[in-house]
Amino acid sequence: MATFATLVVLGLLWGGVYLLMAEGLNLIYGVMKVVNLAHGDFIVLGGLLALTLFGRYGLSPVVAFPLAAALLFVIGAAVQGGVLERIPLAKPEGELRTLLATFGLSYVVANTSFLIWGSQFQSIPFLQSAFAVGPIAVPQGLLACSLLAAALAVAVHAWLRHTAVGRAVRATAQSALGAAACGLNVRRLRIVTFALGAAMAGGAGALVIALVPFQTSSGGDLTVQAFTLIALGGLGSYLGAWLAAELLGITEVMAQYYLGSDAAAAVIYLVFIAVLVFRPQGLLGRTMRI
Amino acid sequence: MSAARAARPRFLSDRAQFALQAALLGVLAASGLLIAGQGNGYAAQLVFNVALSVLLATGWNVIGGMTGYVSFGQVSFFGLGAYAAAIGVLHLALPWPIAALLATAAATSLAVPLGLIMLRLNGIFFALGMFGLARILQIAANGLNITGGPMGTTVPAAEGPALPAAVTVVIAAAAAGVVAALMRTRLGLRLMAIRDDPVAAEAAGVNVWLAKVAAFCIGAGFAAIGGALYVWNIGYLDPSSAFAGTIELQTVLMVLAGGIGTVWGPVGGGILMSLLGTVLWARFPMEQQIVLGALTMLIAVALPGGLMSLLPRRGWMARPPIWGPPREASEGALPLAVRVAVADTPGPVLVCRNLGKRFGGVAAVDGVDLEVAPGEVLAVIGPNGAGKSTLFNLLSGFAVPSTGEVEFAGCKIANIRPYVLARRGVARTFQTSRLFPTLSVWENVLLAAISRHRRKAHAVAAATELLERMGLREDWARLPQGLPPGRRRLLEIARALALEPSVLLLDEAMAGMTGPEIAQVHQVLRAAAARGCAIVAIEHVLPAIAPLAARVQVLDFGRTIAEGAPAEVLHDPTVIAAYLGTDMAGTEFAHA
Repeated sequence: MATFATLVVLGLLWGGVYLLMAEGLNLIYGVMKVVNLAHGDFIVLGGLLALTLFGRYGLSPVVAFPLAAALLFVIGAAVQGGVLERIPLAKPEGELRTLLATFGLSYVVANTSFLIWGSQFQSIPFLQSAFAVGPIAVPQGLLACSLLAAALAVAVHAWLRHTAVGRAVRATAQSALGAAACGLNVRRLRIVTFALGAAMAGGAGALVIALVPFQTSSGGDLTVQAFTLIALGGLGSYLGAWLAAELLGITEVMAQYYLGSDAAAAVIYLVFIAVLVFRPQGLLGRTMRI
Repeated sequence: MSAARAARPRFLSDRAQFALQAALLGVLAASGLLIAGQGNGYAAQLVFNVALSVLLATGWNVIGGMTGYVSFGQVSFFGLGAYAAAIGVLHLALPWPIAALLATAAATSLAVPLGLIMLRLNGIFFALGMFGLARILQIAANGLNITGGPMGTTVPAAEGPALPAAVTVVIAAAAAGVVAALMRTRLGLRLMAIRDDPVAAEAAGVNVWLAKVAAFCIGAGFAAIGGALYVWNIGYLDPSSAFAGTIELQTVLMVLAGGIGTVWGPVGGGILMSLLGTVLWARFPMEQQIVLGALTMLIAVALPGGLMSLLPRRGWMARPPIWGPPREASEGALPLAVRVAVADTPGPVLVCRNLGKRFGGVAAVDGVDLEVAPGEVLAVIGPNGAGKSTLFNLLSGFAVPSTGEVEFAGCKIANIRPYVLARRGVARTFQTSRLFPTLSVWENVLLAAISRHRRKAHAVAAATELLERMGLREDWARLPQGLPPGRRRLLEIARALALEPSVLLLDEAMAGMTGPEIAQVHQVLRAAAARGCAIVAIEHVLPAIAPLAARVQVLDFGRTIAEGAPAEVLHDPTVIAAYLGTDMAGTEFAHA
């Protein structure tokens, strides 16, 4: 029973981490209705940047992590402004072309990272100890990441709800044409959104690399994991994504424990395909979009 | 018209075009065979790589390009083919040719259930779902002990690359030939229509489901042969190379660079990009994937149609029009055909009782009764939001009613798929016209005609006849966007009539037409009605349909508010109130 309780708690905490890794993708999808296939590679890049800043230059994690996120913000802005803005989304093949472009981007990012950091698994040793709550051992790093993830989720939500730019982003999400007709600079909003999504990926990577080691080729798996989560949550939905994250977290931890890591890796894809086939509108359907 | 005739460009006949393309393919294959037979191992290996690339790109293009289901996991079938062949050789002691054939057959049959699941998905969902499938298979292969698990296994290989290169060249050329031929068949036409607009394809009588699964299996088969040939040549197999993302990236890039959805795109792109990949691999092995990824981005942004889009649309390397051009019109045009068996049934051919459809709290259609007899023209009018288009979706099987039922020719249509209904004789048009943008005017009509006629000659004659009647024959080779809006509407009506319907549902079909065009439609509709076709026409305003309609049914807020002859309905105070509001109900309503 204690084992089971531990697994549930771990699963819930991991859910927070998964949420963090998926939020940037969710934001970008919500606003632009495109999926950034390089999202997982952005997460890995953020993690490896944090690793270098922390390990090589000795920066404190409090500085290194936000700095990694900021670097990803710049990269994201450059990608959207320099490349993806050139594809007109209004045309029917716009979605497909964006998909293919980000497919290419994922290889560029992953292999550039490979040139810089090599192919071995890397991790930041940070907050490695655990503390006990009754019979349950809670790893400190996981708890910190999970709490930070929740804080970031709330912050982004508040930003979308209560700031002028956030409202403009939501308006663009609901109707780009309407937003443009109201005098909003839709192009700039899309660039900000994509950059923010990339920054969230980078921040997530910086936190997660303290929990699980990364390899430069982990990006594809992370993209699918993040996409599974937002698809399960109902694309673009915040509450749904959080629910889905907790569910996936528990599923993953249970599968790891009872079936082993190979099977756990397959479970995420099976969940993914099952979700797409049986519940394509997500857990909560069309409610609670941004 | 004579000016248009004079300005019409000269085309090669489709046979000549086909022959030229076959000759080019032959020359390419022959040069591949010559180089492979030189005895130079390096050159033969290069030929093998190029031919394998062309084969994989051609297979990907069948489902990703022709059908529009872009996949990021087509490598699944490459891996399945490779593993099945290796197991056949290692554990069943089969000779290579038989192992390869069996592996291809196994992977292709496995594509049927996989296709049934995966093709429920669309767009990004399908693309990523396939990516997930490749990862699941790779994980499964890791656990397969008889092939060495994650470490892989050696497999008895061919002696030197010359023979595999030659065989692969022949198979790749055959694959390209099969696709070129496929594009001139019913299935090819249907696949391209599905890519353009699956809903309109269904309305034109296409079994969208079946066609997609067929394309998926063909694509899978090509990839599986490729996998078997790969193992035969290299003599080694492990999960990460059999299901490698690199193969997927290169395949997508080759098709994209050459021209997605064309016959020659994957061939040209396959040759160019595999050579480029080889050069890059030799000089910059570490940077190869960065360059290929950047190239994919560049092409997606700057040249989405690939190299083929730089060639003229009607050049000799382009796709020849399917079964075209239409023959010169026969003297004494044939009367429009209607299914006599249905037209002869006494009583109404289409009946609906208490039909209702709710969307959440809104009743779009609320207890509508409607019936129409063979040869009758019924106009359904009503203000915006009256529920007219929803009613049509219910009548044509595109939506399932919340209450009530629809009967066509005495049978309930509940649970009948729209394409079956279209084939049985319920044809429709759409409020915003849904023509197939990449199919020519001719092919737009032919697509519906092949749903009706089993024999090619009959379908061609029927489609020709309809183009002639609609005054569209001169425009047969143009794309729908090239037509003015009114003529696009004519084309959509022609497509619906090509099903030779016993019930024709027209959804504001005459909106945006000029006077002469409306007169032309009236003439055609009269002819169809005279042959026993029942016509239900939705119009926002009445004059477009009044001269034909014996009866008018007026809808508002999902209910029938008036019914009768056009003249009386127009003076009905309820109708006037519905259009103009209650304040105006006293005034004459002559302009409707």
